[in-house]
Amino acid sequence: MKLNYPKEWFEQRIEKEGKVEIGAGVPPAPRPVESAAEPKIKLLDTRIAFGQFVALWRRNKGWNAERLAAAAGIDPEEVLQIEYDPHCEPEPDAVFKLAGVFGVPSRPLLELAGLVVNRTPHLREEAIRFAARSESIAALSDVERQAFEAFVTTLSEVKG
Amino acid sequence: MTESKVYLRDGKSGNLIEASLFDEVTPDHLVLWDRDWVPAMQAFCAGKPPGQKPEDSHWDWRRKSKEVTGILGYHSFALVCPKELQGLMMTNDVTSARLPAQFGKPLIYVEFVATAPWNRPKVQDAPRYRGVGQVFVLAAIETSRNAGFKGRVGLHSLPDAESFYEQKCGFTRLGPDSSHQNLTYFEMTETQADAFRQNH
Repeated sequence: MKLNYPKEWFEQRIEKEGKVEIGAGVPPAPRPVESAAEPKIKLLDTRIAFGQFVALWRRNKGWNAERLAAAAGIDPEEVLQIEYDPHCEPEPDAVFKLAGVFGVPSRPLLELAGLVVNRTPHLREEAIRFAARSESIAALSDVERQAFEAFVTTLSEVKG
Repeated sequence: MTESKVYLRDGKSGNLIEASLFDEVTPDHLVLWDRDWVPAMQAFCAGKPPGQKPEDSHWDWRRKSKEVTGILGYHSFALVCPKELQGLMMTNDVTSARLPAQFGKPLIYVEFVATAPWNRPKVQDAPRYRGVGQVFVLAAIETSRNAGFKGRVGLHSLPDAESFYEQKCGFTRLGPDSSHQNLTYFEMTETQADAFRQNH
């Protein structure tokens, strides 16, 4: 990328700028603390539940993946990978951002995504139950909606 | 890596000074950041409560640069004048527009941009150089045009800089974004970019 603007252009623009601050960008979210003695869990079943949760939250809102990605400030491809590929380990920052959009604590989502050690009692069992009741169909069935809402309650009760 | 000739205004003499914009942050730039920028920021922040420190005072440009080096879709920029680092910017081209008029279209998203501490009115009463913000907004617009995005640019402004993007550059304010620590999101359309580039 080569800029080729005359000196006069900068002269005029600088006059308009005046004395101002120009900083932009989101300060980094704290990364979850990982212990060497506690290796990351990579259980596919909780990550499947995590993907199901993301997909159902989005569908419940009537959003497409692109809209959710824009709201979270992440790549649409990352949303689709989370929803469809349990082998893919999501970025902690993406999980933090999604938790912010969903309005749930980030800690249980990080556990579901296999990025931190599972410390929340019964979360894995709840997640598997939720995933087992959720099917990837166009609209949320009543059973799916009930499972979804029950799981949101479970997540919300966990301290972040 | 490409070097472009740009200009800044010397805060003392008022003269326009030639500066160099690089479209890649190199290890040499990070050495300058370590040598000058970090100590100046630390000196300003010393003894101040968190609320009085610049919002970006804890940003680690070395880590940011390392995270995106070699990743397709990410670009970094360094502004040097005369042999000092005057500003840094990082962008990506994998983000979509939010404004209804251009919703879903690709744009250049400014992940981070900052000017050196000595160029900030809050840090130094008489900033050493002025015009750093204009150079980076221009660079983001031209990167967008080169990518075929017609000048579309988006960013989350730090609170102190909102008036710069809205009033001085012509961005549209879309409001606070709860997914980005409630920072206000701004977006520039093709028409606004053309207005910014006016007289070129």
